[in-house]
Order: sequence, then C-alpha cells, then structure tokens
Amino acid sequence: MARKALLISPELCIGCRACQVACKSWNQLPAEKTTNKGTYENPSDLTPTLYNRIRYVEVPSQENPVRWLFVSQRCMHCDDAGCMKICPAPGALYKTPEGIVSFNQEKCIGCKLCIAGCPFDVPRYNQKEKIAKCNLCEDRVREGMPPACAKTCPTGSITYGDRDALIASSKKAGFEKLYGQMDLGGLGVLYAFKETPRLYGLNENPRIPESIVFWHNVLKPLSYIGLGGVVAASVLHYLLIGPHKEQEEV
Amino acid sequence: MAEMVRKASAFEIFNHWVLAISCLLLALSGYGFLFKIEGITNLFGGANMMKDIHNYLGIVFSVSLFLSIFNWLKDALSFDSDDIKWIACAGGYLSKHPRVPPMGKLNTGQKFYYLALLVFGIAIAVSGFVIWLMPGQRDYVLLSHLVHNISFVVIMIAVPVHIYLATIANPGTFRIMVYGTVPYKWALKRHPKWIQELQRSK
Repeated sequence: MARKALLISPELCIGCRACQVACKSWNQLPAEKTTNKGTYENPSDLTPTLYNRIRYVEVPSQENPVRWLFVSQRCMHCDDAGCMKICPAPGALYKTPEGIVSFNQEKCIGCKLCIAGCPFDVPRYNQKEKIAKCNLCEDRVREGMPPACAKTCPTGSITYGDRDALIASSKKAGFEKLYGQMDLGGLGVLYAFKETPRLYGLNENPRIPESIVFWHNVLKPLSYIGLGGVVAASVLHYLLIGPHKEQEEV
Repeated sequence: MAEMVRKASAFEIFNHWVLAISCLLLALSGYGFLFKIEGITNLFGGANMMKDIHNYLGIVFSVSLFLSIFNWLKDALSFDSDDIKWIACAGGYLSKHPRVPPMGKLNTGQKFYYLALLVFGIAIAVSGFVIWLMPGQRDYVLLSHLVHNISFVVIMIAVPVHIYLATIANPGTFRIMVYGTVPYKWALKRHPKWIQELQRSK
C-alpha cells in the first residue's frame, strides 16, 4: 500500500483551529480548561486529550511588525520512529500499512520510554498512564477517508494523500525539498516551509538520540551474541578440555 | 563419610539462591522487553504484569546484592602474587592436567567474577530504578537506559560462565550452593590457603 502523509502549508493557515476541534470531535477527546498566556495560541502545548494543535509563532521585524506564523503540531509518523524503537511492550506502538505510527493503550505499560525516544516531544500520557498522541485517524484512513483535521481544514493548509503525490505536487508548486522528506527515513507529516524550520519552531535536523541508535544497533545484538558465545564456548570447553576433576590434578 | 568442612553459611546459601533466581527471572523478562517477545510477556501474565514483576524483582535483586557484600567482598578484594600466577595459567582451565597456584577461599576468577557482578549489578540496579521512578525525564532516562543495557550485556556474558564453571566444569562445586560444605581433601587441594587460615584461627 502506498504510504500516506499530511502536507502542511503554514502560509495557507489562518489559525482558525478547526483542525483541533475536528480532532477532538472525531477522537472523542474532552475539552480542557486553559489559561491565557498573553497569546492567542491555545492550548499552549499538546496534552493527552489534544493530539494536534496550531502553534502561533510571532515573528516581529522592522519591516513587518506584525508577523504571525501558524504551524500544525502533532506526531510526525516517522518512518524510522524513535518511540517504536525504544518501546519495550509488544504491540503498544505499531505501524499501519499506510505508514501511520499508531498506539494501543491496552498494550501500553506506561514506562514512558517513548518520551525519551521521540525527537519531536510528542507522546503524552493520560491519567491511566497510557500513551496518547495523534494516530492520523487510523480508523478513518483504514476506510479510505482523510483524517479529521485534513477533512475539516477550510484553506487547504492541511492536505492528506499519497506521500509521493504530495511531494510531487509541492515540487511543482516550487518547494524543492519539504521538511520531513528525508528526515528519520521520511516523515509522515511534511511541511512546505518558505524559511528555516527553526523559525517555525522545528528542529533543523531531527534525530533519534544517539544512545538509542547505539543500543539498537550494537547492544541489542550483543545481548544474545554474547550469551550464545559463552554458552557455545562452555560446550566446546567441556568437550575439548573437559571438567576439572580431582584425580586429574597432578 | 569423608571429613567435611563448611565453606558457605546457611545465610550465604540462602542469599545466593535469592540472587540467582531473581537474576535469572530479571534476565528472562529483560529479554522479553528488549525484543518485545510476546511468548515471554505471556509467561509473566502480560506486559503490564511483567513490568511490575521486573521492577519489584529489581528490589529483591538489589537487596540481595547488597547483602552479598558481607558474604564475599572481603575475600574478593584480597589479592596476592598467586593471583597473578593464576591469571598466567588461566586458572588451569586450558589444560587437561591443570597445575594451579594455591588459592584462598576464593580463586582469582571467582574474585573477579564477584567484583564484576557487584559493579555491574549496582549499575543495572541504580539505572533500573531511575527508569522506573523517573519516567519521562529524558536525559536521566536515556543515560540510565544505556547503562542498564551495557550492564545487561556484561552480566549475560558473565553469568553463564559462572554457572558452567560452578557446575559441570568443576564437579563437586555445586554442592556448596546446596549443603555449604565440601570434603576436606577437596578444599585442601582447591583452597589450601583458606584451610591453612582456618587451622591457624583454631
């Protein structure tokens, strides 16, 4: 199956937050009381009941004293996902055929290692200590429908489709390389940025922490190669040299 | 029956079993987490249950490891020139007719094994508690995750060697873990300096 993706075009976003509401509506997530922090951005961070939100970035300058950037923030659905790598619970995090990084709260053991593995600070935990994050409306996607946020977006700032097609169409529109096109094996959420990602609050080079890569590539194999090696060596020793018996000691 | 001499106290035997069983169960569940093996999580009653068992067994392992200090650390830290000779002949394990320098209560390999287990046991315990009790604290958890897994690799290499050498590789040794006693003649050959010490203190 072709990998699916979202294409985010911040230039088209008007900050209406219909995507936030549609997400809560479809995923049956309750509203939360928030506090005013001197910005229209609301809520100010992802929560266990807020899977996506619009980040309001104010970039005032001499020429343009009022410049507002609106950026959709949510799970990036990495191809090489740090959360999935480090997660120790079978089936708690899984990849769908469409390339979605989805979760199963029944199988989550609440260890929160995924928080340490995520390069984008996405996973949140609910009151029952289970993971909660965007699953790209896996249930809708499975039935051939777009995720609720993309379905509801009135300006086309969030579009959903085959990943390759989205990349091809944005290339035609003049975006040589999208944010997330190559990072972490390719993200499932692509951004058509006109300026540096840092301006939009995203890391230039998102990476899985080095220690997790080392653990996955070196320590994990060593844990059974080492064990197998010494067991094999013991068997060999027993066969070739044999046990240390008293009568054999001169 | 041949004359016997006591090498391990009842408490030592008990504590060693606690340490051994907790270590093996922790290792098994550890492999279950490391490779997300559903067959192992089912064995422990599901991944959630396995997490609790792994965590609380960690406490048992830590307490047992701490108590083992009183059993073995003093002997494990007493090195002399015979230990160098022991290393030079690899403990006699590479020869069919071994000649081994005279040893105290623990031989050089046993001393190194205990010291390694103590160091990496403390490392795996402390890092385990950080992962358990400081969830979501990225830097601490990442460092502890690394330490926990490096220690795991080392322990998974050391423990099978220890089990092999203490059972079929040295017939007559395993009874120490059951009865705590060894034949006097055996002890005089394997641990002559320890027997001398015993006789001197009598």
